[in-house]
Amino acid sequence: MTAHRPSADGSPDRDPSAEQAPAAGTRTAPTGRVTTGFGRYLLKHVSGAAVSLLLVLFSSFFIFRLIAGDPIDQLTRERPVTPEQREAMRAELGLDQPMWNQFLDYITGTLTGDLGTSLQFRRPISELVLERLPATLLLAGTGVVLAVLLGFWIGTRAGWKQGSRFDRAHVTTGLLLYSAPTFWLGMIAILVFARYLGLFPVNGMRSPSTPDEFLPQALDIGHHLVLPVLTYTAVVYAGYLMVMRSSILDEVGADYLTTARAKGLRDDAVRRRHAVPNALLPTITLVFLAIGGIVNGAIVTETVFSWPGLGSLFVSSIFYPDRPMLQALFVLFSSSTIVAVLGAEILYWFIDPRIRKS
Amino acid sequence: MTRRLMAAGGVLALSAGILTATSTQAAAQDEDDVDRLLVATDQEVDTFNPFKSRYVITYNTNMMTYDTLIRTGADDYQPVPGLATEWEESDDGLTWTFTVREGVTWSDGEPLTAEDVAYTYDLLISNPAIHDWNIDFAGNLVSAEAPDETTFVLTLKEAAPAEILNAGVFIVPKHVWETYPDPSADDANDQLPLVGSGPFQVSEYRTDEFVRLSANKDYWDGAPAFDEVVYDYYSEGDAAVAALEAGEVDIVNGLNPAQAEALGEQDHITVNNAQGRRFVSLILNHGAQTADRELYGDGHPALRDPVVRQALHTAIDKQELVDKVLAGNGDPAVSIIPAIFEQWHWDGGDELVQFSLDEANRMLDEAGYERGEDGVRTMPGGGERLSFRFYYHADNTDYANVVEYVTEWWSEIGIETVPEPIEQGSLNDLVYLGEYDIAFSGWGVGPNPTEMLAMHTCAVLPTTTDGSERSHENFYCNEEYDALHAQQMVEPDPDARAELVKEQQRILYEDAPVIWLYYQNVLEAYNHDKVTDLRTQPAEGGMITGQQGFAWAYLSATPVEGSGDEGGVSTGVLIGAGAVVVVLIAGGVLLFMRRRSTADERE
Repeated sequence: MTAHRPSADGSPDRDPSAEQAPAAGTRTAPTGRVTTGFGRYLLKHVSGAAVSLLLVLFSSFFIFRLIAGDPIDQLTRERPVTPEQREAMRAELGLDQPMWNQFLDYITGTLTGDLGTSLQFRRPISELVLERLPATLLLAGTGVVLAVLLGFWIGTRAGWKQGSRFDRAHVTTGLLLYSAPTFWLGMIAILVFARYLGLFPVNGMRSPSTPDEFLPQALDIGHHLVLPVLTYTAVVYAGYLMVMRSSILDEVGADYLTTARAKGLRDDAVRRRHAVPNALLPTITLVFLAIGGIVNGAIVTETVFSWPGLGSLFVSSIFYPDRPMLQALFVLFSSSTIVAVLGAEILYWFIDPRIRKS
Repeated sequence: MTRRLMAAGGVLALSAGILTATSTQAAAQDEDDVDRLLVATDQEVDTFNPFKSRYVITYNTNMMTYDTLIRTGADDYQPVPGLATEWEESDDGLTWTFTVREGVTWSDGEPLTAEDVAYTYDLLISNPAIHDWNIDFAGNLVSAEAPDETTFVLTLKEAAPAEILNAGVFIVPKHVWETYPDPSADDANDQLPLVGSGPFQVSEYRTDEFVRLSANKDYWDGAPAFDEVVYDYYSEGDAAVAALEAGEVDIVNGLNPAQAEALGEQDHITVNNAQGRRFVSLILNHGAQTADRELYGDGHPALRDPVVRQALHTAIDKQELVDKVLAGNGDPAVSIIPAIFEQWHWDGGDELVQFSLDEANRMLDEAGYERGEDGVRTMPGGGERLSFRFYYHADNTDYANVVEYVTEWWSEIGIETVPEPIEQGSLNDLVYLGEYDIAFSGWGVGPNPTEMLAMHTCAVLPTTTDGSERSHENFYCNEEYDALHAQQMVEPDPDARAELVKEQQRILYEDAPVIWLYYQNVLEAYNHDKVTDLRTQPAEGGMITGQQGFAWAYLSATPVEGSGDEGGVSTGVLIGAGAVVVVLIAGGVLLFMRRRSTADERE
């Protein structure tokens, strides 16, 4: 399943979060007795998720201590300062505290909802994250929905007629885009559609000249959204296409489809009403992972298009290094994946009878 | 057939949406008759509190929002009147009396008086957090008083004429700041629009989207011609260039030579290749030391010998670096103060090091560094090989190119280098721990040379060996240099001061703890169909962005007549969009009919 994870967007931070979550979340506490019901099933998975969350919470403090660099260097770059001034800055930003105190502050802060202050923006992190969240949900959310729909739709058809021209053309195109570097594809899109054809703005989320009213703003944001979303979708949809295609291939020869055909149903109906519902089952985890990954944003896409989302925030925080911000984002990204996987596990209980019986 | 129609419908729906959006956009822009100057930026805002901000972008927004008593001149970086029309220094240099300009108003209409000036300077003195954050300047202030509405008196602990003339303290309105619960807080000054007395005030800010500044039409030095200056975010340089070409942004800076060349071929774009304030240098580990002269780190012992450092210097062809690495967009560097500051820059005179591999070889031979069998020299007496770790910033392709050239030259004088690209944060950590031999460095220099020169005084050497104290550039300490430094800081006569500053540079040059490689040009470009009359600093070959002490370019900038957007397009687009909508509805109807028919079929 992880092999098909659609993360061609090249976001290295996703790997720990995405892989940690299911590993810790699903393999804990084998009960040794026959599962007696939904409550037990739920408890098992919720507690697993809780353990994962705690691990994420503790580890994120230490992971980002590995990034070298003194944030004061960034603050004083290009403008020399005296030692006293550096001291004053360290004290105000809390960098002079011993590591243990910083750790305690971080844990108690995070648990009480106070994520601390960003070093680079010098504003409360929770405020910055909330400000960015809508932009990320809009871009990555639209992108994921489009990619899943497109991937599943083409994947179904391609798998249904394996080896056909449709199949070969779409698999080739999909994989070609899947392997294209997002950064490069984004720049090409900017050059062609914004620079030369002038159909779309080069980047950003809205133009400073748009009147501050709802309709013009909404249209302007929609206009800015097109290129990044298309770039993001183009790069990731092949992941869903391939999974759906192989899932359909597993069903194609099944007896129940022969039965359906024998009833006189048209090929279309056989596929839509019988094959697809069964083929969708294995893809649910994938879809939930994608939903959990939406908050991570599309890191590279956001950077190329200067989209003011969480992904580009993460990137600029790494370069700073803005450790409090990185910690908070890491916890946020990881926990959304953990929660999404938990959601998938719960859903399986209801839609897959085999889980209830095992 | 119907499936094709569905697909077509989908595509049409998408294009309809896009076209509608585009046409609405075009329409909105047509109606908008605001003259707006769009400047590309990529730096986040740290804080709009002028006493706390440290970034280049907020330095610029502060310069536009507020005024200073004394400006840094556009022509040659000399102090010129700002809010103060005149100033006078007492004989002992401890008391400064300023005459505050009459008839100046804040952007909210309130009058600006010496009271406001005194209030501002007093914040630096008596607000502990603001005092500490600005300790290098504020630490020398004793009192700030306004005996009457147009007189401001500042007293100092020690004479420091250059500091006062270049102070750049942004005068804030007392009647607004008095209402802030904590004027030192980063978010103290977040109520937009800001109230200031400068040519433009910050009026809107969306994190990492844009910063809008609106013109102060009653500005005492003449109303700006533009209604707005907007800093627009482009996190990728190439995207900013594309936006400039497409007319979405008007000024872009920080171009690389390739971008500048490509932009130069565009009809509507002017490239400004300006002399820069920035130098790039190699720092040599001549012996990392603490303030108690305790050596630490693991630098190569040969670099403690000035002869080796000078030989390395002699074996670098700086002109070649400028030609090949910068594609000619720069000048070979001599000393720490770039040539753009003519008054302070020391040009090397007779002592200018001439590139010569023979001379460098001769110096090393004479000093007893003999070549081993592999051609690499060893310490006198056959000790350690002269093999130096050579650290450069992993994200900087210019530095990587410099390393190629320098390594080649140095190999010809029997010196081996081991180049290693390192991420910036780690590189700084290693340098301040003294765990390097040779590393890259670079600084943007301001109009007051004291700042840069101070980084090589004994006073800023670290007291510990843990690398946390980072106010020094390269562990340098020389008492003769320090004495000159103390002298130049209090010297009231600019010419006499310049002599002292040049002598400091000469000492550094001869001792060679640092080799200055080149002064990098500023490459910036603007759309001359939209903006004209951008005043540069300095006047000749100067820059537009990156100005110091006052934003001259944005005050003088004027919109080009008839630069409005292309009208007429929107009508065509609207008709197109209408056609698409009709087709879409037709498609929907067809689809609906098809659904009906299959439903019938099933029953």
